[in-house]
Amino acid sequence: MAEVILKHIKKVYPNNESKKKKKGEPEKKKSNLLITEEGVVAVQDFNLEIKDKEFIVLVGPSGCGKSTTLRMVAGLESISGGDLMIDGKKVNDVEPKDRDIAMVFQNYALYPHMTVRGNMEYPLKLQKKDPAEIKQKVEEAAEILGITQYLERKPKALSGGQRQRVAIGRAIVREPKVLLMDEPLSNLDAKLRNQMRAEILKLRQRINATFIYVTHDQTEAMTLGDRIVIMKDGVVLQIGTPQELFDHPVDTFVAGFIGMPQMNMFDAELKEEGGKYTAKLEDVEIPISEEKQERLRKNKVKSQPITLGIRPEHITLAKENETHLTGTIGVSEMMGSAVHLHADAYGKDTIMIIQTMNLTAEEQKNIAIGNKINFMFNGNMVHLFATDGANLEV
Amino acid sequence: MNKKHTWSKNEKVFLGLLIPILILFFCFNTLPLIKGFYYGLTNFRGYGNYDFVGLRNFIEVFQDSRVGKSYLFTFKYAIVMTIAVNVISLILALGLNSKIRGKNALRGIYFVPNILGGLVVGYIFSFIFTYILPAIGEAAGISFLSNSILGSTTWAWVAIVIVGAWQGIAMNTIIYISGLQTVPEDVYEAGMLDGSTGWRKFKDITLPLIMPFITINLVLCMKNAMMVFDQIMALTKGGPSQSTESISYLIYNNGMSGGQFGFQSANAFIFFIVIVAISIFQTTILGKKEEQL
Ligand SMILES: Nc1ncnc2c1ncn2[C@@H]1O[C@H](COP(=O)(O)OP(=O)(O)O)[C@@H](O)[C@H]1O
Ligand SMILES: [Mg+2]
Repeated sequence: MAEVILKHIKKVYPNNESKKKKKGEPEKKKSNLLITEEGVVAVQDFNLEIKDKEFIVLVGPSGCGKSTTLRMVAGLESISGGDLMIDGKKVNDVEPKDRDIAMVFQNYALYPHMTVRGNMEYPLKLQKKDPAEIKQKVEEAAEILGITQYLERKPKALSGGQRQRVAIGRAIVREPKVLLMDEPLSNLDAKLRNQMRAEILKLRQRINATFIYVTHDQTEAMTLGDRIVIMKDGVVLQIGTPQELFDHPVDTFVAGFIGMPQMNMFDAELKEEGGKYTAKLEDVEIPISEEKQERLRKNKVKSQPITLGIRPEHITLAKENETHLTGTIGVSEMMGSAVHLHADAYGKDTIMIIQTMNLTAEEQKNIAIGNKINFMFNGNMVHLFATDGANLEV
Repeated sequence: MNKKHTWSKNEKVFLGLLIPILILFFCFNTLPLIKGFYYGLTNFRGYGNYDFVGLRNFIEVFQDSRVGKSYLFTFKYAIVMTIAVNVISLILALGLNSKIRGKNALRGIYFVPNILGGLVVGYIFSFIFTYILPAIGEAAGISFLSNSILGSTTWAWVAIVIVGAWQGIAMNTIIYISGLQTVPEDVYEAGMLDGSTGWRKFKDITLPLIMPFITINLVLCMKNAMMVFDQIMALTKGGPSQSTESISYLIYNNGMSGGQFGFQSANAFIFFIVIVAISIFQTTILGKKEEQL
């Protein structure tokens, strides 16, 4: 059993360090972190209850505080405020080695002077385990990760993917309660990354650990996580299953971050008349499903300018005689079963994914660069956001 | 086959940088060495006429008891120095590499002894050993301190070690600090999670990873200590009763003013070979321990 509970966790980096940076070169303002008297707030009010053996993914753009949060759980970074509980015990001030956690680092962080076997043995040796047991555990882990033939090699003689396997091996031999991973795949090439992602999923079935996984890659987050925590500028924006985040993003940021290709966003108008909502994009009326109408009514949403979002896969082609929107095809990428179109519509680069299966030969011929294209949104799938970004249905 | 080789721009730059250094190295290193060997074959006294005496000087170097004694002193000094300097500078480097306030200022201060000349430092310490320490010893009633240790045949060499170490530590510490900075922070963090702290962390992670820097420091320190001269010149002039006579000092003293120019040239040539041999030996032994990262 290893539940991890983060209660109002907060991290403040004292001011003196950022002052030093200023002396060098003009500070590049990369993020909009809150700055208080005490310093830069890298993580504010992080609340999360992680269940035993759950796979949690922290995702967000670079500099949003993912690593800081993970490192606070690991004990590599002090916690400025709030409580961190592992297995019901408050561990804010417990030494990293006594928290029963292991971590996989982005740059592998292997001991360069030890062989693969040496690396994997080391944590067990420090625990003064019996040599026979150590040997057996290391070989078992090596077997799982397929690195048995490299056991006597030094890390420098391994490829990136193999090194990361060793790092994972070193983490799992200890059978930790919690396994932390900080962007473990981001140094690998795309193909290897896909392969390793699948292996992490398999690994998860084989070991009894709670996973906390940090990534900036939404695909990794969607495919690996039981639940995803999406962060921005040190603030948690939304916590939910991949499906929840995909279907009901709390704001335009989450909507844009989750899903590939990105959700299309348009400036539109929302009209309310006697409890009936309609959306207008330019002069075209966009249907809103009854389910969504209900939620808007419940939130007492008024008529207002809105940002209307629609995912590329929820755009369908429309006939000339149906209500439709129009754009000009700029780029057409044939992907086999679907074609990805970039159309210039109402001043926006609009991406749509059209399943080729549903197209007539005539229609297929018309999809060509420079041609006009008529399309419509699925009323069930439009997302309605206030101009400040908040989802009006939530 | 093109007969005429035209120099490319890169090659010109390369040669332009290399040739002046080669000329300087030849004039101030190779030439004196050759001349030293040449004088070693003679009975030159430093003035007047001289004759060739074959390898007699080179053989007599090995039979001369004063040379033997100076070798003993020099090795004792060099070994104690190398150990003391490296242990202390590694400890200092660990301290100066940790997260403490004003460590950059401290690093600067610790480097100061290195920029002072050996003779200057020697004379300052000579003053301390001769006047200040005995005065303190007398005032405090410590009989051990009340006589200058420079006058003791048993302890004078320790004074030279202290002064030599005080100066030598500066450079070694800087080299160790840069060595410690090559160890990636995340390797230490992985160690922290694995439970490697304190002495284990130092022994299992830090030490193996800074091995190349230990090699450099041991070789440089040993070589410098073997050639100790300034401190002896300033502190003891080889005394009392030749108990602190290093090889360099003997070569200088007896070669320049003792009428043994030829003999000491032979001594110097052999000494050169000894130092080269020790350095090569150290690098090979230690090189095996270095991790090729
Ligand atoms: N030691 C530090 N001192 C000051 N600010 C820091 C320090 N470490 C990280 N930060 C800041 O905290 C923010 C979050 O960093 P981090 O957690 O590493 O982001 P990421 O989500 O990319 O992993 C960043 O803006 C970073 O500049
Ligand atoms: Mg990070």
